[in-house]
Amino acid sequence: MIVAHISVGRSIQRLDEHASQIWFGRLDPRAKLLGVLAFVVATALLTRTTLLLASLAIAIVFAASSRVPVGHLSRAYLAALPFVLVASASVFVFGGAEKGLNMWMRVSACTLALLTLATGTETFNLFSGLRRLKVPALLTTLLMLTYRYLLLISDEYERMKTARKARGFAGGRNLLDRNGMRVLSYTAGMVLIRSSARAEHVYEGLKARGFREDMSMWKRSTIALADASFMAVFFAASVVLLALQIEVVI
Amino acid sequence: MHIPDGLMDPIVAAIGLVEFLFVVGAALVVSRRALRDKELPRTALLSAGIFVAQMVNFPVGGGTTGHLIGGALFAIMVGPAMAIVGMTVVLLIQALMFGDGGITAFGLNGLNMAVIAPLTGWGVFNLVKPIAVRSKRLGEGMAVAVASWASVFVAAAACAAELAVSYAISSGAYGIAATVSVPAMLGYHAIIGIGEAIITVGVIAYVHQVSPETFLHRAGTNTSRSGTARILSSKTIHATIAVLVVFALALPFYFLYASDGKDGLEQTVAGTGVSEGEPIAKSPFSYGESYFAALFAGIMGFLAVALATLGILKLIDSRKMSG
Repeated sequence: MIVAHISVGRSIQRLDEHASQIWFGRLDPRAKLLGVLAFVVATALLTRTTLLLASLAIAIVFAASSRVPVGHLSRAYLAALPFVLVASASVFVFGGAEKGLNMWMRVSACTLALLTLATGTETFNLFSGLRRLKVPALLTTLLMLTYRYLLLISDEYERMKTARKARGFAGGRNLLDRNGMRVLSYTAGMVLIRSSARAEHVYEGLKARGFREDMSMWKRSTIALADASFMAVFFAASVVLLALQIEVVI
Repeated sequence: MHIPDGLMDPIVAAIGLVEFLFVVGAALVVSRRALRDKELPRTALLSAGIFVAQMVNFPVGGGTTGHLIGGALFAIMVGPAMAIVGMTVVLLIQALMFGDGGITAFGLNGLNMAVIAPLTGWGVFNLVKPIAVRSKRLGEGMAVAVASWASVFVAAAACAAELAVSYAISSGAYGIAATVSVPAMLGYHAIIGIGEAIITVGVIAYVHQVSPETFLHRAGTNTSRSGTARILSSKTIHATIAVLVVFALALPFYFLYASDGKDGLEQTVAGTGVSEGEPIAKSPFSYGESYFAALFAGIMGFLAVALATLGILKLIDSRKMSG
């Protein structure tokens, strides 16, 4: 499931480049995070079919108008789909068609909105947005460093997989396949050892560049009219959806 | 096991978020000093390593594959506090960048995979290790295997329980009924856990041989101290606490489930029963609404009591030897 997303470095670089060109990608990351978060929280609280339909429609319109690459978005959505389907299907069977459908719409609307946010935002821009929303510096710095080396290590892992294949390893048969499991655990072990060995160099490199725990921001953006109106639209949609939901319950 | 947005009941998600923030806050405080300087990039790199190790697919048989979770592996390598922080970072990247797991469900995902999995793995590892090592035939590998299997199984159990509670308290709008979620999650992950155990044992043995400095958590630092200080700093106590914390995290969900249509007195009875430790294995049988939920609660209670007892026995044992 995760593998589907990462044929890493290059495709993400391409996405980031694309993100810097579309209107959605140029918005302030804080406005995007808050707006989408409000929408997702509101949608997660909905239980009525009509409201969920509206919410799904909003998510689809948002995804379409944001101009993020449709191919990538649908691939990411399909990768998330199995879990969504299993959950909805079991509700479908045990709780009735309407509840199953509701759950599918709810999960889809949330997933779609989040994926659009992730795809349409430059990765490090997103992290700096988190930092400026007062997420602890320790966490955001760890996020940035982890993400940066994640790309590198997973490329290395791909090379290890190629080498493994060249030696004739076909993936092992089952859990009782001793040799296959040994090769797999050595691969995982090597990934960890290489990460750990690299840490020393990374530390020296960081020190040499005057590393502080709280990494300073390289892009200073301010909330402009476009950002504010984006946020306002999403807040308004969330509030209206929630108000309708609660009114019916009472 | 990544829960998407909109699957769980909002109350369950909120409880999960509160518990998760509390534990991660504590873990950040504990590991803050260690993370100040050199260990910060190392934790980041190891988190990245665990993320990539999660991409290692192992064959289960019949054409299906599973992948590592790595909670126990991470915790055994760097200790519980840093493992919690590191796994949180891994999950955040999965949720924010790849849409694996939702934002409103992040508390629950974090709880299952970044708190319960490493804590269980580390706790069980340190409780079983002395016994496994003493009985020469088994060795440390056995402890690693048991710990990593337990970490997957308990994390899956927590996930199944959250689904079941969501279903019960929302009368079917959220979550999955216990009759489906508990056997499905536990059955699947009992097998996935075997793969996780085999791989983790292999990884630990391999790393130990090739590059032992990768391990941050070294044993045998408490030999110089004496008396209560030594007992309090003993691994066994820490491990017992870790297991008890995992158990405590499950309690609010259990109460939520039990309180569905029950009066205050019954809750209080259940409450006192829990604090004594013993009746927890029985109470679900009289209060639980479905057989599977009861069975599940029973198993969890038994495991927790057994592990706590093991820890206490070990403590008495070490006291005798020192005195």
